[in-house]
Amino acid sequence: MDTTRMKPVLEEEGELFTLQMGPQHPATHGVLKLDLELDGETVVRCRPVVGFLHRGVEKLAENMTYAQSMPLTDRLDYISAMANNVGHTVAVETLLGIEPPIRAKYIRTMVCEMSRISSHLLWLATHALDIGAMTVFLYCFREREWILDLFEELCGARLTTSYTRIGGVRQDVTGHFLESLLRFTDEFPEKVHEYETLIDTNRIWLDRTQGIGVLTAEEAVQLGLTGPSLRGSGVDYDIRKHRPYDAYPYLDFQVPLGTHGDVYDRYRCRMEEFHQSNHLIRQCIEKLPSGPILSEDAPDLVMDPRPKCVTADASLSAGLIKIIEERKHFMEGDVYVSTEVPKGELGFYFVSDGRGIPMRMHIRSPSYIHIGSLPALCEGGMISDVIANIGSLDVVLGECDR
Amino acid sequence: MAQVTRFKQRGWIGTILLLEIAKGMALTLKKLFSRSVTRQYPVERPSIALGFRGQHALVRNPDTGESLCVACMRCATVCPSKCIHITYHQDPETRKRIVDTYEIEALRCIYCGYCEEVCPVNAVVLTEVYEYASYDRPSVYYDKDRLLSNWDRFLGESGRDPKTYVNPFWRPRGADERTLPAKKRLPVPEEWTLEGQAKGIPLPVAASHGSHGGAH
Amino acid sequence: MEFVTTLIIILAVVAVVLLHVAYATYFERKVIGHMQVRMGPMRVGPHGLLQPIADFVKLFFKEDVVPAGVDRPVFYAAPIISLVASLSSLAAVPFARGLVIADINIGLLYIFAMSSVASYGVVLAGWASNSKYAFLGGLRSSAQVISYEIAMGLSLVGVMMSAGSLNLTDIVEAQKADFFGCYAIPQILGFFVFVVAMLAETNRTPFDLPECESELVAGYFTEYSGFRFALFMLAEYVGMVIMSTIAALCFLGGWHGPFDVPYIPNFWLLIKIYFMIFFYFWIRATLPRYRYDQLMRLGWKVLIPLALANIVVTGIVKTFIS
Repeated sequence: MDTTRMKPVLEEEGELFTLQMGPQHPATHGVLKLDLELDGETVVRCRPVVGFLHRGVEKLAENMTYAQSMPLTDRLDYISAMANNVGHTVAVETLLGIEPPIRAKYIRTMVCEMSRISSHLLWLATHALDIGAMTVFLYCFREREWILDLFEELCGARLTTSYTRIGGVRQDVTGHFLESLLRFTDEFPEKVHEYETLIDTNRIWLDRTQGIGVLTAEEAVQLGLTGPSLRGSGVDYDIRKHRPYDAYPYLDFQVPLGTHGDVYDRYRCRMEEFHQSNHLIRQCIEKLPSGPILSEDAPDLVMDPRPKCVTADASLSAGLIKIIEERKHFMEGDVYVSTEVPKGELGFYFVSDGRGIPMRMHIRSPSYIHIGSLPALCEGGMISDVIANIGSLDVVLGECDR
Repeated sequence: MAQVTRFKQRGWIGTILLLEIAKGMALTLKKLFSRSVTRQYPVERPSIALGFRGQHALVRNPDTGESLCVACMRCATVCPSKCIHITYHQDPETRKRIVDTYEIEALRCIYCGYCEEVCPVNAVVLTEVYEYASYDRPSVYYDKDRLLSNWDRFLGESGRDPKTYVNPFWRPRGADERTLPAKKRLPVPEEWTLEGQAKGIPLPVAASHGSHGGAH
Repeated sequence: MEFVTTLIIILAVVAVVLLHVAYATYFERKVIGHMQVRMGPMRVGPHGLLQPIADFVKLFFKEDVVPAGVDRPVFYAAPIISLVASLSSLAAVPFARGLVIADINIGLLYIFAMSSVASYGVVLAGWASNSKYAFLGGLRSSAQVISYEIAMGLSLVGVMMSAGSLNLTDIVEAQKADFFGCYAIPQILGFFVFVVAMLAETNRTPFDLPECESELVAGYFTEYSGFRFALFMLAEYVGMVIMSTIAALCFLGGWHGPFDVPYIPNFWLLIKIYFMIFFYFWIRATLPRYRYDQLMRLGWKVLIPLALANIVVTGIVKTFIS
């Protein structure tokens, strides 16, 4: 036996054992890498390494018009593309001073909440799978498929929706879409009950989630957590309530809050959000106003400052052509607008110099900031808790690395 | 703001008799006899929604057999991934632009559908064909002939009539007719127009209250 | 020529068990598939019936990758130890009255010994792979098997006391004479402990820590591929079949049933074994996975005291009755 080639399995560093978990690992949800230092099975030090999925979205966007950079947001958090589209568009509208029509606002709110449900479904599926309950995974995908089919009907794509437009949305909803969505909302609470039957009170699930990864409200705020991960610690912060955008001010919903700040409370928060989102969708379906879906001021997709749009005006007699003057300038200045995406607070920061192209764009992605809290959550726990903690934060590496 | 409900404390009977585990197992046993929701794909095919953004095509003019493209370059300008390459020359007599090459690099495309939306003559389209995987790059680098044959393939597979087919991106649902170029004011179902748009559905009173707390 | 007949019987038993194991994988995929509202294997043969054969062919012809830096002799030996130990247990298992390779009077002890040896394969695989995930898997396995072996042994002491024998055939016949016809009811505590320990012993959900994919990628066989990987899978499923058989023999009344089925002497035993195997899959489709320390706590603080209590109760009752 060639003993010289046998490397010791234990790398002596004191008594610690270094485990490089990821970037190819079934439970790191993409390409997250964790440098773990273990004492037996106890995690002594945890250092997240990110950047494996960096595509330079922010730099790319600096060479594109605002309209062109919207499809890039599909690829940030690819699980809730609709919510990202809306976040980007709300920010650009604030910058350009465009007010979308009320119908568009309702439709956007509706698709945002649909995407929240679909994102939380995928989160629940993978979180449960990580903890070993693999049937929940398939049940969640059953309902997620339904939502994706609805997205396909609405905008022609299941994941990379590119649905919103600056000043509105691209396609109006159809009666068939609304009916199927209503049927979905009718049946969905029962399905949530199904998932809960499998895991909610299961003693193994409780053992794996309660008292694990505890963050007090103060710590959670200090770490910059947002979304359900923050609300699990009992901090009442939801942008839909506190800085409402789109149709949220007209709708009635509650923000579920946890008390203990452990994995179980974060899990419960998202489970309650299923019901709240469902309720929001139903209100949108009920109250959906009539009217245009695109603002009169909306720039066209090309966003060229030169006068270009040549159309025949119906008010004039046939054959006459009216040249519609393009706005000379877009607004100058900078703007930071954040929206509540399923993962947390997604912020877009634009610096504009008056062209149709942002001078600088920055994305405040919740996943990136949430990953920063992993050391605080994992150190002192066991390897299995690392998995539970990653799952409970609901990070998506496409958004983290941008 | 609502507090989340923590689980109800398990009683000693529940602990000994493993009630919650038994409930979960009853659910999985029930599902054992339920109908499967998956599909045997190559045999059973999914129905693809109208306006699905799939394989690229150039619409073939049924009269001339040529493409409708007028080389306005709007698609190439608006494309976020810069995957459309067009060259053209101008006819010295009629001053019309004549397309020499029209190429779409499908591997670069991000399927946003902007090109079909800005096209003033409905020449380019993302068809509902979704099976065009390939083992090599050249076969997904579409030139003009390939794009035209993609359109034929789409018509053949979907059985749509080229005269009446309207892609929702050519004439967006709910768009104001007046803002559209002349060629895009296509005859569409009532529901697509601003006047005939879908209305909100009034909910039964009980349901709109009851869904608040969910199923329990 | 007793030697030749024994050899033929051994070959027959191994062949039959391996066939069952092959179809146990199919059964598992179908059962779990349908529980998860999908179909399971459908492509190879009608309703995927030839899937196990396709799997076998695939695994057999796959490249056998041996990573650099492994301890080669141990790496090669580990899967063989696992499988051989599992298959050896079959020698003492009676599949019907008189249908047993070696009708030894310490049958139960022998099977325990063999299932402990099987875990050596797992531990050695974890050590020899020179991979951290495999190493952790091996460590977990050794700790887990040791703690659950005790609980399992103790849970069967009640059965031994009731039957007054360690010979499996005698235990089955003793149950026939029992008031309930099986030990699952009078020995309910022992049966419960046995079932839990059985799941842990064969590394199945919710105790599949040595190979839990979401933490340790694939645990102790992370570095194995091709047919060596298949040997581990075979060993795991053979272990499941044996544990199910012991449960059927010791607690569910063996080959005795409510009525006699002509021509198939072990009809009832097969039904009981299939039920136990189904139970494995059913559990796997339903439950999440324990954490390592929780598993230990359950083993030492719950199961072992329960099994001891069962022994005490059985002893008192037996003294009281006699």
